[in-house]
Amino acid sequence: MAKKFLLRSLVVLTALTLVAAGCGNDDDDAAPAPAPATEAPAPAATEAPEPMDDPEPMDDEVVAAFVFVGPVGDAGWTWAHDQGRRYAETETGATALFVESVPETAEDFRAVALDFIENEGADVIFGTSFGYMDTMEELAGEYPDVVFEHASGFKMNDTNFGNYFGRMYQPRYLSGMAAGAMTEADQIGYVAAFPIPEVLRGINAFTLGAQRTNPDVEVHVNWTFTWFDPALEGDAATALLEAGADVIAMHQDSTAPGLAAQEAGARWVSYNSDMSAFAPDAFITAPVWNWGPYYARIIDAVAEGTYTPGAYWGGMADGIVALAPLADDVPDEVAAEIDEVAAQLTDGSWDVFTGEIRDQDGNVVVAAGETMEDGAMLGMTFFVEGVVGDADPS
Amino acid sequence: MRKPALVRRDRVLPATQALGFFVGIVVALLLGAVLLIVSDHSPAEVYERMFDSALRGTDSLSRTLGRATPLALTGLSVAVAGSMGLWNIGAEGQMMAGAIVATGVAMMADGLSGPLLIALMMAAGVAGGMLLMLGPALARSHLRVSEIITTLMLVYVAIRVVEWLETGPWKDPDSFGFAVIEPVPEQAALPSLFGRANIGMLIALGLLIVFSVAVSRTAWGYELRLAGSSPDTARYAGVSLRRKVLVALILSGGIAGLAGAVQLTGSATRLESGLSNGYGFAGIIVAALALMRPSGVAVAAFVFGAVQVGGQSIQTLGVSSAIADILQAMILFGALVAVVLFNYRIRWTGPAREQQADERLGSAITQEAADV
Repeated sequence: MAKKFLLRSLVVLTALTLVAAGCGNDDDDAAPAPAPATEAPAPAATEAPEPMDDPEPMDDEVVAAFVFVGPVGDAGWTWAHDQGRRYAETETGATALFVESVPETAEDFRAVALDFIENEGADVIFGTSFGYMDTMEELAGEYPDVVFEHASGFKMNDTNFGNYFGRMYQPRYLSGMAAGAMTEADQIGYVAAFPIPEVLRGINAFTLGAQRTNPDVEVHVNWTFTWFDPALEGDAATALLEAGADVIAMHQDSTAPGLAAQEAGARWVSYNSDMSAFAPDAFITAPVWNWGPYYARIIDAVAEGTYTPGAYWGGMADGIVALAPLADDVPDEVAAEIDEVAAQLTDGSWDVFTGEIRDQDGNVVVAAGETMEDGAMLGMTFFVEGVVGDADPS
Repeated sequence: MRKPALVRRDRVLPATQALGFFVGIVVALLLGAVLLIVSDHSPAEVYERMFDSALRGTDSLSRTLGRATPLALTGLSVAVAGSMGLWNIGAEGQMMAGAIVATGVAMMADGLSGPLLIALMMAAGVAGGMLLMLGPALARSHLRVSEIITTLMLVYVAIRVVEWLETGPWKDPDSFGFAVIEPVPEQAALPSLFGRANIGMLIALGLLIVFSVAVSRTAWGYELRLAGSSPDTARYAGVSLRRKVLVALILSGGIAGLAGAVQLTGSATRLESGLSNGYGFAGIIVAALALMRPSGVAVAAFVFGAVQVGGQSIQTLGVSSAIADILQAMILFGALVAVVLFNYRIRWTGPAREQQADERLGSAITQEAADV
């Protein structure tokens, strides 16, 4: 019995080998001919640079490598980083490789990074998720000749390990101004990710902006404890809508809150990238990332040998954060005011957390005329007045 | 109406097993080559990269072994329950529970010396996994509640507990407000054997040997398998099914909990919600590849680890993660299909008279209770 089966499977195997070999030869011989047929299915794959004939990059050419936590997809956090990668590749002429969907464990990041270093000759590695931090710190110690740049963390060293992030609270404030003007119920729902300073800062900036155009507004917070979970985030938005909100803002990476808003006839402020295509009727605007210039700058510095690590926290002045175009129905006077504030944020004459600002309990946290220090912003643990929700839900 | 049923072949030589594995993987690689060609990649180049990064040289090998270590433990966890026909789907959660308790111990005892602290944390891991399994095990043995559902549901509970600890009581005060738990004390890091392979591998190997012998060579293991395959016979032979269910499930939970402690001290720097990283769920595939036999888990875990390392590395060649994932799935699926075909034959049976194995065990336990 076993013998007969063995024989049969060997026959099948041989047949398959022949078929596969046949396919391979055909394709190799006539590579240009079938190209149109295969063009459509894999645009992302074909665009990735592939040093097929010359796997060892030349020494004087900088190779940058990006490690992404999610798939690049069509929109969102990783997509924005990939746009930055493409921009930097064009600007600097360097090779900029990437690997997507890399989990935040030491094994995963290390394996990918070592492949980049050993097989592709990477000179600089960008890790674009918080959870890569500890592994990047270790690797920076082990590979002193490779530069490691980490987005959204707080660790660095003196030689080859830096971190970078942006003052997203600035465009968040502007998006809040638009949302405040658009809500008729004076109730905005905010689908919030995790109770960490970055998210709290975003909610507070958004609320302060909304209050500027609409003093009566309330921002209701619903925590999901997720970065990307469309089902849960959509449900969280629906719950806020059912409770009376008519505008939804969010901090996660999915378009689900926007779809929920559109379905309910409400409006939506997306995040990370311009997601207007996903819910065009609901979309108002979005605070978005623009990583390209920073990536180009670091790659150039690595190429010129002038790189020094830093803890970069750029704002609208550097263009690393921006506001997506406003929906057509945002009133002109609101749009003009947003432009005005954007100009102040860009030239540095004013910043978002400028007093007087009170917390939820009415305590003054920033006195009139004062502006919050970076350290206090980075460690923010409270909600401002006007936010309805718990800043410490644990 | 005649129905197909899989019947286990009486005796399959280890060489045949190995051949099955090999054939399955080769077929999958050939099918994968078609996929790669269609998506404009050179199969030779891609497969060479997979092989290089997973198996060539001590560095690569250590990466594969580093991954195979948690997979071997979670695979063993699933296989121990599987030896008696029970399904522990929740090794992922038990891993987390193990890592939680181990972290708690490290926080209370971080002044201890390395070996002592590591030993304590391993024991804590086992305890954590067992603790999370206690409910499902009792519900299964006494109330006939499906362990498949309960163990799976507790995965999400365990992950949420970690998130709560991260943002709440265990938040590291030195992390500038970021929601992270403080790192495990340095002396608790598992010593490396070479490269990324640490002594966790030896712990896993040791346990695999112990359980291989226990399940296939001892009276205890015989009763376990008997209780799974013919619970009524086992009952007539005086085996306490309830106790067997409890013991098998609790051991299974403990091993998965140990996997959590090994990951915590061997690879991760701190407890975080991504720590289990799918290893618990992957353990189900590892155990299936090993046909629920602890003796096969080592090979299955190694192959799985190599496929994971290789599958990820080809992305640096420009292969998209989707294609890389499909390729990994094809290889594992190919191996699984081949292993099953080499070990089972299809028999066409008459009208289905046979109860589901699960039902049989349940009703036998009920009978057992009535006997008393």
